[in-house]
Amino acid sequence: MKKLGPYLAFTKKSFLGRSAYRFDHFMGIFDTILRIFIFWEIYRALYGGRSEVDGITLTMVTTNFILAMGLDAAFFVDDYYLPSRIQSGSIATELLLPVSVHGRMLADNLGNALFQLIFHFVPAVTVSVHVIGIAAPTGPLVLLLFLLSALLGYGVLWTISFAAQMFSFWLINIWSIVTIKNSLIKVLSGSMIPLWFMPDWMQGVIRFTPFSSIFFLPVQIYLGQLSLAEILRSFLIQLFWIAVLFLIGMLLWKKGQKKLVVQGG
Amino acid sequence: MSLIEVNGVSKTFRVSRRSAGIPGMLANLINPKYEKKQAVNDITFSIEEGEMVGFIGPNGAGKSTTIKMLSGILYPDTGSVRVNGYVPYKQRKSYVGSIGVVFGQKSQLQWDLPVIDSFELLKAIYRVPEDVYQENLKRFTDMLDMSGFLNQPVRQLSLGQRMRADIVAALLHSPKIVFFDEPTIGVDVVGKETIRNFLCELNEKDGVTMLFTTHDMQDIEKTCKRLIIIDQGAKVYDGLLSGIRSAYGTTRQLDVEFSADCTVAPIEHVEIREQDAPGGRKKRFLFESKEVPIDALISSLLANYTIRDLTVSEPEIEGLIRKIYSGEVAR
Repeated sequence: MKKLGPYLAFTKKSFLGRSAYRFDHFMGIFDTILRIFIFWEIYRALYGGRSEVDGITLTMVTTNFILAMGLDAAFFVDDYYLPSRIQSGSIATELLLPVSVHGRMLADNLGNALFQLIFHFVPAVTVSVHVIGIAAPTGPLVLLLFLLSALLGYGVLWTISFAAQMFSFWLINIWSIVTIKNSLIKVLSGSMIPLWFMPDWMQGVIRFTPFSSIFFLPVQIYLGQLSLAEILRSFLIQLFWIAVLFLIGMLLWKKGQKKLVVQGG
Repeated sequence: MSLIEVNGVSKTFRVSRRSAGIPGMLANLINPKYEKKQAVNDITFSIEEGEMVGFIGPNGAGKSTTIKMLSGILYPDTGSVRVNGYVPYKQRKSYVGSIGVVFGQKSQLQWDLPVIDSFELLKAIYRVPEDVYQENLKRFTDMLDMSGFLNQPVRQLSLGQRMRADIVAALLHSPKIVFFDEPTIGVDVVGKETIRNFLCELNEKDGVTMLFTTHDMQDIEKTCKRLIIIDQGAKVYDGLLSGIRSAYGTTRQLDVEFSADCTVAPIEHVEIREQDAPGGRKKRFLFESKEVPIDALISSLLANYTIRDLTVSEPEIEGLIRKIYSGEVAR
């Protein structure tokens, strides 16, 4: 606990700092709700009064995007944490603190994510569930496993960003890499188009990427589509990606530090 | 074994080289050209515990790069650095807890928060015990006269106030070694004096070892006994501040005001400059101290003329440093 002290201070700071921009925050909640409603309308039109297509019910689809988009809002990741510091040169003062930079990055992001979870996910999902409706979880255990899976999903999302940010040691500006990464996540994670609708070959490809374990695995668990064995396997897949991406990130970090050029002064 | 040991350290940066304008931009897009810039070139020095060393050199000499290697931010390409038993860049996390660093051009403080909030955050990061924190905070803020703006957001501080806050921020965890990179940049005369006195007291009373860079020679003259000068990445002088005079500044200057207008017969190895009209009362004598003994010169003048006033002056350090930078004196 003592070792965690400094990191908790960062988490607290970013949690508190988040509340500074109130108007922006309320507009963010409105944006999430709006997007959920737009998708609801689109899928209702696509289903054209049918209750299921290829064995996939409209309820499954709405549950998918309410949960995935809600989580997307809560899963705060600052893709420019390291790039902005390298670009401005403030990486120098960052490195002067007796804490690990990745630990600080995570602590900082978690403070934001916690705030988003409480003050963005909860209201946006509550409104959506009331108006649109959502499949009920099949039991408290399923809900618990869903939350655990979602937490690991955040880990995958965070480590992808962590590894991607390391390229800023060489490229300084990594806007393009971040944009491509986020587009891939949008399409391949199943938050917009549920992966059930993807052609089989594509689902096969996506299964070998980390993207489906961010939102789609938790949603599948929530909907009770996975057996207990499959759920355990999904946890292992998520842990595998977290470990691999984190190692890649750390390797790049070690190499990048030797390359570091402190800009300005 | 010295507290700080820098051994044959070199660091090169790759800098993009492109010509101006749109053609240059296009050429750079297709075939970027880089060149190596040697920021630090084979520097060796050591600093003992309790020393206060001035580290100076013209812009781009490699001072900041050296400080950053000493603070564990940059890796040297070759050579080794050892501070207080640590290799800074390899053991960064455990090492930086034992040092303090102030970058005059980069603030450690949280831009939007009151100064005191940044201090509280640093207290948590460095795990400073509450009593030590309170004691340091009170002592440093009193010494630097900061009580007036502790509760103001950093963005509303003047540069001088921000610098003082940054200095305290770097010292709250009672480091025994502190590196300052231009701690008086952009600070007014009074502020500079406050900072200098503070640094001196910290060095004398607490025995804090300090290395600092500056462009203000007054900073050095008022605080440091020892001076390291680097230029173009290489060390050109390392020794006592007073040693600069004996090494480079052997020219002496004697200003004489005679009781009446007169002309002085030429003296061997002495340049005589008229300060009034030629043949006037005020004259300046310039000579090398090893060629002309000053007592002999004065007594011969006193024997031959009536003198109202005379002053001997040594060359200013600042002027000597300027000469070293511009290459006027041999290194």
